[in-house]
Amino acid sequence: MMDGPVVNEGVIAKRILIVDDAATVRMYHRGILESAGYAVDEAMNGIEALEKTLEAPFDLYVVDVNMPKLNGYGFLSELRQQEIPQQPAIMVSTEAAPGDEAAAYRAGANGYLIKPVQPTQLLAYTRLMLGEAIR
Amino acid sequence: MGLVKGKAVGCTNKSDPIEQQNCEELAAALEDSDATVRRHAAQKITSCLNAATALVSRLKREENTAVREAILNSLLRLHDPSIASGLAECLRSEDAALRNDVIEAFKQLGDEVAPILRSLLADPDPDVRIFVINILNSERHPDVEQWLIEVIERDAHVNVCATAVDLLCEVGTEASIDPLHRLKARFGHEAYIQFAANLALKRIREI
Repeated sequence: MMDGPVVNEGVIAKRILIVDDAATVRMYHRGILESAGYAVDEAMNGIEALEKTLEAPFDLYVVDVNMPKLNGYGFLSELRQQEIPQQPAIMVSTEAAPGDEAAAYRAGANGYLIKPVQPTQLLAYTRLMLGEAIR
Repeated sequence: MGLVKGKAVGCTNKSDPIEQQNCEELAAALEDSDATVRRHAAQKITSCLNAATALVSRLKREENTAVREAILNSLLRLHDPSIASGLAECLRSEDAALRNDVIEAFKQLGDEVAPILRSLLADPDPDVRIFVINILNSERHPDVEQWLIEVIERDAHVNVCATAVDLLCEVGTEASIDPLHRLKARFGHEAYIQFAANLALKRIREI
């Protein structure tokens, strides 16, 4: 659980929410993003993600598709209807069919990655979405 | 679809038996354009023979969330293992919300659907195999670990193996150690497999 903004060399770390029902996937993505200096929080489904977002919106969302209670499409659709600053979202899915990617963008995703994600791939997308220089 | 009054399976209202005509009306009502009518029909049709067939047929096409929920609730009340094969077909749906709902329904069906789940682990569609492993997450069948070992030893699809390893992190025992090492060797270039397999191995050794 993230306790607050991480300050590194006077810069407040960008906050990223990982939304996935698989604990191992959350740990994997968290490790990659935290090693790059981001402040990471987690949600197990779309409902929990919405609750955390309404408390304090994040700078980026990394969202799985298939989750109980509220799936990734449902979460993004709800997120995009909220009157909060709209930040980018990367959908991460095991599904590679063209229709799945189109559905992700329709729901409000800004990027689409197919699992399993390579660390360099996730970091490149993250930096791109956050408008940072890609190293 | 003609429905006839059947043996009540799980939810008969014996003081108000449903006659054949009513069953036919209820089957027709499941196809009504009004969602409220469809929802009420889904709730009432459970005493009719072939209710499972009618409900599953409607479920595959139903887009209204409340009606879908009523259909799934009624299917679960039937306590009929035969609904599992119908639900399994819904795992192939393009509708992610339906797939999620069906996965959650499967989780409530218990041990009686274990043979069907095991057979679906050999389904040609890798997404179906992934969904089945997600269902096994809540299954307390004693052979689940062995099934997962077979998956990580044989399945060629990296995401199917990845999902199996996620679950082995929770249910794995010493029996999984050698298969996990072989999986790591088979997918040596996949960072996620290395991470998840190492995590599973660490947890098994901590048991």
